[in-house]
Amino acid sequence: MTTFALLFTLSAIGISETVYLIRTRIAAEQPVCPIGEGCATVLTSKYSKIFIIPNDILGLLAYMVISFIAALLVIGVEPISLWSLLLKILIGIATLISLFFTYLQWREIRAWCFWCLMSAFTIWLMGLIIILSAVI
Amino acid sequence: MSKASFHILRVGLAITFLWIGILIIKQPEAWAGYIAPWATNLLPISPVEAMQGTAVLDIIIGFLLLIDTLVWLAALVGALHLITVLAVSGITDITVRDIAIFSGAVALLLERWPKNLLLDLSKKKYE
Repeated sequence: MTTFALLFTLSAIGISETVYLIRTRIAAEQPVCPIGEGCATVLTSKYSKIFIIPNDILGLLAYMVISFIAALLVIGVEPISLWSLLLKILIGIATLISLFFTYLQWREIRAWCFWCLMSAFTIWLMGLIIILSAVI
Repeated sequence: MSKASFHILRVGLAITFLWIGILIIKQPEAWAGYIAPWATNLLPISPVEAMQGTAVLDIIIGFLLLIDTLVWLAALVGALHLITVLAVSGITDITVRDIAIFSGAVALLLERWPKNLLLDLSKKKYE
């Protein structure tokens, strides 16, 4: 229960963050960059989309699916083992994608985006929580 | 209220409402036990059905707060909902925390109160 509560909380933070990024992008505004100045550079770079889908929309979808599955697991909707497996696979894929995007910021774009890093840390924290819950 | 404080409060309350909604869906019978007998007698539906409705309302409020849409309306409904909860449950070891959630909802409501809403509505009426 605590694991799912933490995953749900983190995914809700992710939803809030990605909705903010989508709104600023649609309104053609510059996002607030609380730390550093590279947000606009990263968010308007050629790496800000996978094919034609903006990364913020992909992130929002991922966070929404994670929060939905976490909610199903808390409520106890069957098949629990399938939901649990799906959650682990999704967070695993998201962790790898976040690692790749962080590498792109570091080596290719050479600028750091606060929101992208926050999203990456959120995902990595989810991964860590899943690993710890399996170990403990 | 600073922008950052507002968003921290908004997301925190959103998670609280969403999470409570999910917990109520999980065990509506247990949550129905918090309703005082006098309030149960006033309900036109069963307490469990009332709690299921409450869960849906909580999730809608939480979702609107989370996506920063109609925050004033979500906060208003949330605050009224919490007044109802405190009225029908009384202030107990558990519901005492609802005072903090209520205060947070009122703070968001004041911050995002649509000052021109009544003016706009009256204008539309006479157009």
